[in-house]
Amino acid sequence: MAFTSSTRLVNPRLGTYFGIFTAALAALVLMALMLEQLGLSDNLLRWLLFATPLVLYATIGLNARAQEPHDYFASGRRVPAFFNGLVLGVSVLGGTGFLGLTGALFIAGFDALCLSIGWCAGLVFMAVLFAPYVRKFGTYTVPAFLGRRFDSRAVRIVAAGVLLPPILLVLIAETRFATYASTWLLGQPEFVVTVILIVLVAAVLAAGGMRSLTWASVAKAITALLALAIPATIFGLMASNLPLPQMTHGNTLRVLTRMEMLRNVPIVIAPPLSLDLAGAGIEPLAKRFVQSFGSVGNLGFVFASLIMAAGVAASPVLLPRSGTTPGVYEARKSLGWAVLVAGIVLLTLPAVAVYVRFLLFEQVIGQAGEQLPAWFQVLQQAGIAQIEPSPQPVSLGRLGFERDAVLFALPIAAGFPQVLVYLALIGALAAALAALTASLFALAAIVAEDVVPTSAVEAQSDRLRIGRARIAVAGVAAIAIWLGTVTAADPLQLFLWAMTLTASTCFPVLVLSIWWRRTRAWGAMLGMLTGLGVAAGTILLAETGAVALPSALAGVIGLPCAMLVTVACSIISPTAGRNVLEQLREMRVPGGETVYDREMRLLRLKNRSPS
Amino acid sequence: MIERNERKAYWRHTKVQMLTSLLPFVLAMVILPLYADALNDKRVLGVPLGYFLACHGLMLIAFITVAVFINRQDAIDHWHGAHEDF
Repeated sequence: MAFTSSTRLVNPRLGTYFGIFTAALAALVLMALMLEQLGLSDNLLRWLLFATPLVLYATIGLNARAQEPHDYFASGRRVPAFFNGLVLGVSVLGGTGFLGLTGALFIAGFDALCLSIGWCAGLVFMAVLFAPYVRKFGTYTVPAFLGRRFDSRAVRIVAAGVLLPPILLVLIAETRFATYASTWLLGQPEFVVTVILIVLVAAVLAAGGMRSLTWASVAKAITALLALAIPATIFGLMASNLPLPQMTHGNTLRVLTRMEMLRNVPIVIAPPLSLDLAGAGIEPLAKRFVQSFGSVGNLGFVFASLIMAAGVAASPVLLPRSGTTPGVYEARKSLGWAVLVAGIVLLTLPAVAVYVRFLLFEQVIGQAGEQLPAWFQVLQQAGIAQIEPSPQPVSLGRLGFERDAVLFALPIAAGFPQVLVYLALIGALAAALAALTASLFALAAIVAEDVVPTSAVEAQSDRLRIGRARIAVAGVAAIAIWLGTVTAADPLQLFLWAMTLTASTCFPVLVLSIWWRRTRAWGAMLGMLTGLGVAAGTILLAETGAVALPSALAGVIGLPCAMLVTVACSIISPTAGRNVLEQLREMRVPGGETVYDREMRLLRLKNRSPS
Repeated sequence: MIERNERKAYWRHTKVQMLTSLLPFVLAMVILPLYADALNDKRVLGVPLGYFLACHGLMLIAFITVAVFINRQDAIDHWHGAHEDF
């Protein structure tokens, strides 16, 4: 198989398949719009829009089965760059980007851009620093990559242990966002919704692992992009006669800025090292939209974007995805597509935030209590917006808005049909599900491949490896249901902690292991442990108030510490063996067979020969 | 397949490309937002310039950085014979 042309392995009908999916989705939305006008009951409409996409994802996922580890963990290495980039671009953002970032942009304005800059820069870092080399090495998980790079089982186990907490945090955050969107959509209790979603995701992952994850996530990514684009484009068209909200929200922004000036919205100046992105729940709008560094200080802004970038680039959830492409060149190219897709989303979200803010300033603020528009009363009844009761006209100080609801508040506020509100919700749900599935699978793969086994995993039979991974998926799913319903913390905060932990454990060690030949096993191990210890300690101290640093910026201390420890320990360790250096040299060159695949092939030949 | 004695030159070339891709990008990403408030008085397409640069500008710079990196790195691979041979 290694001698077949990799381009020939790619399914030539992928475009047709996903064209059909997109058409089915469009048909569903149009049909729902018609049924709404014909008077179908609201409850039935919600279930129709919730269940149909889920059934489609599940059908795609369950049909993409996998019997071999190569398919189960790396999707057979035949995912074209575009589709890989599409999945990567949407699952890097997930529900955190779609719901959390929109809300943070709405409330904190310019200051929340530190997150979107971080996301985009993270993909750039990943493309240049890691993806090609991880692809050439070809291991299925990041701990396995580090373990083989240093030829040490200890590194592999330590890496697995150290990477579990950040992946678990991402998993909980995305479960919470997925549950949040579907609870709004269905009105069912959280526990029921979480169980439905996670069981579905786990069933799909058990069937085909990375393979079904990839193809189901392409469908989710298409849904998320369409659902984001439709309401924003319609409103953009209404506001500026051009269907390009990404480019034209500037005019609305200019009017908004003028209204903010007239209403005397204060110009706030934050201390340099502060990071106050909106929390979950009802939050006041305290500053002007374009004014910078009002709730995030300038140092905090720079640090937050750098930590986000490092956390995203070294993310153990996303890096294995580069292993699914046919080759190193395709892996680089898929990151290019990912930057494009994520960039377009990250330009649309501020447009949504600006539009909602504009409608609020135009129609609500300054009005007397009884003259509020109907849409605002709907938002109030739904608990999305809140006003302190008073006979005076509505002022900014008395107004609160729920952060995570801003994305689907736009269709409500613009007076669109109810179906478009549900569409925005299924889009956010699709993005959250893509990220949730990716983190669930990454966690299960690490548990099955790197934590549990006592002997070399690669020597075991296919059935054993896949069976163990399936059990791990079931176990991790149960944990996700439990923690997703029990945890009460703000999911955006959980995600930021995950990024800060990844940035201080995984990023320095990965950079050095690829770009610095002298890095040694001891250095990597102690570096990761130091990073985790320092970052987790700083988060704890910051949360108790002992350190004057926002806990999400703990990586500012953790990352340099981990880097220093890795370098220092590597310098005093003895020189590495010949095979480790030879392996490193091979990893740095794109040409030739994937290192891990060749090892597996040789191992298989050895086991088969009767000697 | 790459020649043995080409490996060192190839890696040096790759390292230089990594730095030329990342350093300007990191500089832009750190510096642009810091001057946003000062630039907001000017406007492009009706958008305050500081906001426009930090939002649209950086996304564009990121995309260009990756696109140029992919092409340059591919050229380097071919130059040293390190490319994949399908």
